[in-house]
Amino acid sequence: MTTTVAPPGTASSTPARAPRRARRWGDHLFVVPAVIFVAATVLYPLIFNIDLSFRDVGVAQIVSGGAEWVGWENYTDQLGRDEFWHALVISLLYTGLAVTAAFALGMALAVYFNQRFPGRNIMRSLLLLAWILPTVVSANVWRWMLDGSYGLINTLLEAVGLVDGDVFWLARPVPALFAVVIATAWSFTPFIMILLLAGLQGIPDTLYEAATIDGAGAWRRFTSVTLPLLKPVNLTALLLCFISTFKTFDTVFLMTRGGPGEATMILPIYAYNEAFEFFRFDTGAVATTLMLVVPLGLSVFYFRSLRREELS
Amino acid sequence: MTATRRRRGWLSVGGVLITIAYLLPVYWMLATSLKQSSDIFSSPPDLFPSPISLTSYTETVVNHVGIGRGLLNSTVIAVGTTVVTLAVAVPAAYALARLRVRFVALLMLLFLVVQMIPAVNLALPMFVIFSRAELVNSYVGLILANCSLAVPLAITILRPYFLSVPGEVIEAAKIDGCNTWTAFLRVALPVSVPGVITVAVISFLGAWGEFVFGLALASDEGMQPITVVLAGLTNSFGTRWNDLMAVSVVVALPIIVVFVFLQRYIVGGLTAGATKS
Repeated sequence: MTTTVAPPGTASSTPARAPRRARRWGDHLFVVPAVIFVAATVLYPLIFNIDLSFRDVGVAQIVSGGAEWVGWENYTDQLGRDEFWHALVISLLYTGLAVTAAFALGMALAVYFNQRFPGRNIMRSLLLLAWILPTVVSANVWRWMLDGSYGLINTLLEAVGLVDGDVFWLARPVPALFAVVIATAWSFTPFIMILLLAGLQGIPDTLYEAATIDGAGAWRRFTSVTLPLLKPVNLTALLLCFISTFKTFDTVFLMTRGGPGEATMILPIYAYNEAFEFFRFDTGAVATTLMLVVPLGLSVFYFRSLRREELS
Repeated sequence: MTATRRRRGWLSVGGVLITIAYLLPVYWMLATSLKQSSDIFSSPPDLFPSPISLTSYTETVVNHVGIGRGLLNSTVIAVGTTVVTLAVAVPAAYALARLRVRFVALLMLLFLVVQMIPAVNLALPMFVIFSRAELVNSYVGLILANCSLAVPLAITILRPYFLSVPGEVIEAAKIDGCNTWTAFLRVALPVSVPGVITVAVISFLGAWGEFVFGLALASDEGMQPITVVLAGLTNSFGTRWNDLMAVSVVVALPIIVVFVFLQRYIVGGLTAGATKS
């Protein structure tokens, strides 16, 4: 209690400080490579991309550089294009539908596989195969499953009387959107299931037992116990799934390339086409930079919900 | 007692049915790849391939030059990505968990935010930068691109593993004469091997299945990873679904093998990377 802390800069603290500072410098050598690496491979390209978005980049300037600075011109041009807004709407529609489907199904699977029965751990892991499969592979398989004339899905739907005749999923606008949503949700659902299972395991059995004694049925237990207690986990999972789905490129590109027409033209494909199909790297840079607003904006909420989840 | 047991039995049966239904696309891929060309267009489709035909594998997969080359490219890229990611991320994650480093919270936030960036956002400027540095169509360029997203993910997954190493153990090692570096290599690293394996597996799987960087940064057919080769084959094969599914099986096979043997590492790592800051 009586010991006094030496004020900074006094003679007594100087010798103690010197080695500490030296050690800290050595410690930083562990992190510096990673920081430089991320700065060089992520931050530098991002800033470079923003710089590109303010220039008039022709095919020649891609390699040679020296593109002329045009200010906000590319932005006003891009924001005045219907194609851009169409791509944004399709992106939000596609993401919203896929996240809703994946979340509903993931929740159902999580609740089912949270029950105690033999083999549930193996089954949970097996389901994760859908998530871990390369999207190129699953997109191809879904293309075949959804084939109009010989696809398995049409056969199954016809067998139960849901459709009459062949549905050419990928050739018509609305079915094509549903097709890419189905394929995307199929991949994401097991991931959601695993995230929610972690949350479900934190709910004590005694709460369910108490609810049962009070006369609550299975549905009532789900809405009154499971859902409220899962709320922080749900929010985190939803936001993470939304961000990941919004930036999805592979599945849609491989199944429809944004077609038929522009029916599944999500923003990532639109931006990719601008640059790599039409060699308009400046407008492509504008589109990608604007696209960044959605995931980065949502990540603020994501981090907030992460912290809340950790606290609870 | 027996009532509970019977209930659990029925739950198991239900679980098996759900799993089978959910993984139907995986089965259908395998079944189609084992069918003869004439059998894939039967209506209604045969649920089981009969006779089982390996022609798609023995004729198409083996003889197609591009597939072999694509598998080789993907192997080089995925192994390279894994090695570089481990070399950069493991020391960083250790320092951010256990050493006196500044800006820990800020750096962890940075590594997490970076993972929200769509790959197209990096592929586009990278193409321009790499064009000028002559790194387009090179393993170095493709490995760097893959590592750009793998390193931050690896750090977020690894840090909790190092956090669970007790600080006293490291202090004790230092009293026994270890410096920071040897304490890391001889004490902290050996007990964090599961975390390192998780990160290695996830980096490898991520790079193996990666598509956008391969598509944007490898226009030369000899440099394309197998995912891009497969995407190209969907055009040239047209409706040769059995051949296409056979190639898909080959692309998925390393993933499935790794998954079967190392799945306990993957499951933990995937969720840890997503939910821990």
